[in-house]
Amino acid sequence: MFVHLQGPWSPLLGRLSAEQLPFLHIPIIEYTFAVVVLLGLVVVGAVTYLGKWGYLWRGWLTTVDHKRIGVMYILIGLVMLLRGFADAFMIRLQQAMAVGPHSPGYMGAIHGYLTPFHIGQIFAAHGLIMVVFAATPLLVGLMNIIVPLQIGARDMAYPYLNAMGLWLTAGGAALVMASLFIGNFAHGGWYGFVPYFELSYSPGVGVDYWMWAFQLSAIGTSLGSINLIATIVKMRAPGMTWMRLPIFTWASLSTNLIALTSFPVLMVSLALLGLDRYLGTHFYTAGMGGNLMLYNDLFWIWGHPEVYFLILPAFGIMSEIIPTFSEKTLFGYATMVIASFAIGGVSWGVWLHHFFTMAAAPSVNSFYSVTTMLVGIPTGVKVFNWIFTMYRGRVRFELPMMWALLALFLLLVGGMTGMMNAFASNDYMWHNGIFVVAHFHMMVLLIAASIFGAVEYWFPKVFGFRLEQKWGKLFFWFMVLGTGFVFVPMFILGLAGMTRRLDYIPYAAWAPYMQIEMIGIALYVMALAFFLAHLYVSLRDRSKNLAEADAWGTGRSLEWMTHSPVPSYNFAITPHINTRDEWAWRKENGLTELHAGEYEPIHMPKNTGVPLVIGAFFFALAFGLTWRIWWLSLISVVLIVLMIILRSFQKDTDMTIPPEEVERTEKRAIDTLYPSSRADVPVYPGGTVGTATAYQRLSASEDVGVSSTGTLPHASVDR
Amino acid sequence: MDPQGLIAKTSYHYFLLDVGIMLLIVVPTAALAIWAMIRYRKGGKGTYQPKWAHSWTIEAIVWGIPLITVGVLSYLSVKAIYAVNPYNPGAISQAQKKAGGDPLEVDVIATDWRWLFIYPKQHIATTNELVVPKGIPVRFRLTSTSVVNDFIIPQLVGMIDVMPGMRTKQALVSDHIGSYVGFSADYSGAGLSWMHFTTKVVSKHQFSSWVSTIQTDPQKLTLNGFNRFARPYIPVGEKSQPKFGEVQQGLFDLVVNEVMKGKTWKTPMDMTENMVAYLNNQNELQKEGYY
Repeated sequence: MFVHLQGPWSPLLGRLSAEQLPFLHIPIIEYTFAVVVLLGLVVVGAVTYLGKWGYLWRGWLTTVDHKRIGVMYILIGLVMLLRGFADAFMIRLQQAMAVGPHSPGYMGAIHGYLTPFHIGQIFAAHGLIMVVFAATPLLVGLMNIIVPLQIGARDMAYPYLNAMGLWLTAGGAALVMASLFIGNFAHGGWYGFVPYFELSYSPGVGVDYWMWAFQLSAIGTSLGSINLIATIVKMRAPGMTWMRLPIFTWASLSTNLIALTSFPVLMVSLALLGLDRYLGTHFYTAGMGGNLMLYNDLFWIWGHPEVYFLILPAFGIMSEIIPTFSEKTLFGYATMVIASFAIGGVSWGVWLHHFFTMAAAPSVNSFYSVTTMLVGIPTGVKVFNWIFTMYRGRVRFELPMMWALLALFLLLVGGMTGMMNAFASNDYMWHNGIFVVAHFHMMVLLIAASIFGAVEYWFPKVFGFRLEQKWGKLFFWFMVLGTGFVFVPMFILGLAGMTRRLDYIPYAAWAPYMQIEMIGIALYVMALAFFLAHLYVSLRDRSKNLAEADAWGTGRSLEWMTHSPVPSYNFAITPHINTRDEWAWRKENGLTELHAGEYEPIHMPKNTGVPLVIGAFFFALAFGLTWRIWWLSLISVVLIVLMIILRSFQKDTDMTIPPEEVERTEKRAIDTLYPSSRADVPVYPGGTVGTATAYQRLSASEDVGVSSTGTLPHASVDR
Repeated sequence: MDPQGLIAKTSYHYFLLDVGIMLLIVVPTAALAIWAMIRYRKGGKGTYQPKWAHSWTIEAIVWGIPLITVGVLSYLSVKAIYAVNPYNPGAISQAQKKAGGDPLEVDVIATDWRWLFIYPKQHIATTNELVVPKGIPVRFRLTSTSVVNDFIIPQLVGMIDVMPGMRTKQALVSDHIGSYVGFSADYSGAGLSWMHFTTKVVSKHQFSSWVSTIQTDPQKLTLNGFNRFARPYIPVGEKSQPKFGEVQQGLFDLVVNEVMKGKTWKTPMDMTENMVAYLNNQNELQKEGYY
């Protein structure tokens, strides 16, 4: 059909055949498959045994609650992070084994244990998974949970759309995982090379898997970004003016503006590749009028803003954690906001630095070299602002703060090496080299460090208990050590001239560096074990670590005002915002009482299974397209359209929580934490229970007769 | 990081300047961060001022330092780009004036997965071996038959993309007699790791005698022969690489035109899908005289 395909095709199964099931022929995949099947059976068995299918369906799979959707995003992110790490482990092991012409080969490889096409798949999967299916869902999940809380909203602007975004991303992730056992994945780098990804040079289904998985996640993320922007613009609580917006929400706004404007470009660039591969057009081919540079331009017009899409929320997280644990206001709030938007703005004007060596005129390269360096200015400002936030503070080194500070130091290394790459004459020497790889891993690890910090920091808000510290600290320090051992040798090799994506390294002299990197990988594996222990011990001892509304005692923004865990409606009564760092201000003025005098009915969206089903059909569509099973794709498209039409006729999509139920929930939340009766709770001077509450509008503190002098205890209710 | 040619040396010079200036900023910043962490730790000696969040002086400094640094580095970067840009490197132009005469021209064609070096004036070609005379500027024209490659000889000259259906340029001057390794850096498929070549820098005299030796080689390279040569092949552990004593006039341009018109050398599916047997497959084909 339209194009010449190598290999067999049948109308029923498309290109699928028994030969395309690698776990039947390749030992490594055979074992992985056995483990995955076993784990899957254990999970299914456990859920059935515990009788939790109903709970899973009603509480999670059909939910439109932004916090639960966020948690599921983070779960997808963590699972994919693990998969990406397994890929990294395999790449490092291969490179440590296959150094020098005399290094032995195993399992059909000439050197090491992986054949060139196999390691090609692994590093393509590693890159795509880490960027698109680990970092992105983790950050989108965090924004999903925190942004509505920080602006005092009940949910996102479009809860149903939110679930759509989640299940599309899940569909994409599932497709990447499917490629492990059915067929194979793209053999090139994660960002796709043309014409290498054309049918002539990548004749199998690998690139199609890559393309459709990428496409699904791109659609999902775009939908998510529309939702977050609408939420921030339209759903802010009364009194939350722009300059009172918490800094993480600012970062989310700028990052989603980037996503909304750049992801469509990615979809187009992938769609054109799809036309080439399915219909035989010549957008990116070398001959017949195709232009392979078009792909590089289009892809990186998305690709570079995507980098800032990932890093801005990370900066936002650091800007939340550092003031909380410095017990002090963030230094230079306005500057931070300007810097975030400056980074966002410059992000569209730097993409050409991804192909400095593509023979652009020196004037063009000069322009992009300078614009790239401009990013260094707002980033440098942010670093200084964080340092001056700690200055004259009282810095507490708890786990979230440790991660945030690690991110700060990684930013110094990553930023400096980034400036070195931006200096185009350096880039000529190592453009496709290991130095660049080490640089962007610094940046991605910075993002990972702030994500870990954010998970530690906001975990009690979502689940109602803090994570324990002992295993968490071991996890932290082993991550630090592992990073040192892996990436210092990598920088050295980069300067020595080692190039990227090698399956076999001809220089025997480089072997020691590769072996040191393996020590780092071993440390990472131990860190992973500590991370699992950290989660397990925290879960086991959760009753010892129950968290108050203000879990860390020095929280500053609005999310620390409602209960931990947050009730489904977030705030019993929509709070009125009086100032920036609202919660810190309320604590100073004793306006922290969470009992409202009277509760009102709350209007909330209803659960729906439609997004999950549509997500499943999208997976079927992408799978059908990948294998060219046309009937499956056609049926999926028809069903997707049908579902969307049917859903639009459904009128019963919302519900009202009656005030009595709100009151019950509120009482239960407070009683869990403070089993003693409410009568024992001391009332702050000047306030009476039920009259002065955290929910009320207070333009001046005198209104309720609270003395503005004198410090009050930080906890919402003192024991 | 051991530059042996003019372009690499110029790059290295700017690299040192760049890193020096960066360290001047980054090291004190890191020190400041560590100082703040220690001095203002809870229970430490620092004074506690929870409301202090703004100072015009500090704002001016935190914007000023990055601004000045980036300004200086930008100036240096632009200067460096013009000095080493592959199409008309300022450094090479100066060397050309000094050396006089004509530069040596070499046409480079990257296939899957070998490098073919054509010396159009000498009518010879070599595979995976580049020989250049010391001190004479060499100007390259580069193209690829199938996918994008990246041409680099780390000790002599930086990277330039080698693209199918297109022509890029590069130039170098070498200072010392010796042997240097060149690589393909951009991912081009299974043979990438084996796609390196030797660069021999020899004296002028040795160069001309080398040229006449190659010219006596009976193998001829025409477009038809090239079409066979360019089929996917991984040069694993290969000692002798084909040399051609005579090359069809204008072969480089012919290849660029062919590729522009849509000629491709497809990768066989057996090679990408059956990942263990990919080399056996190649060996079989070789026995059958495919290459």
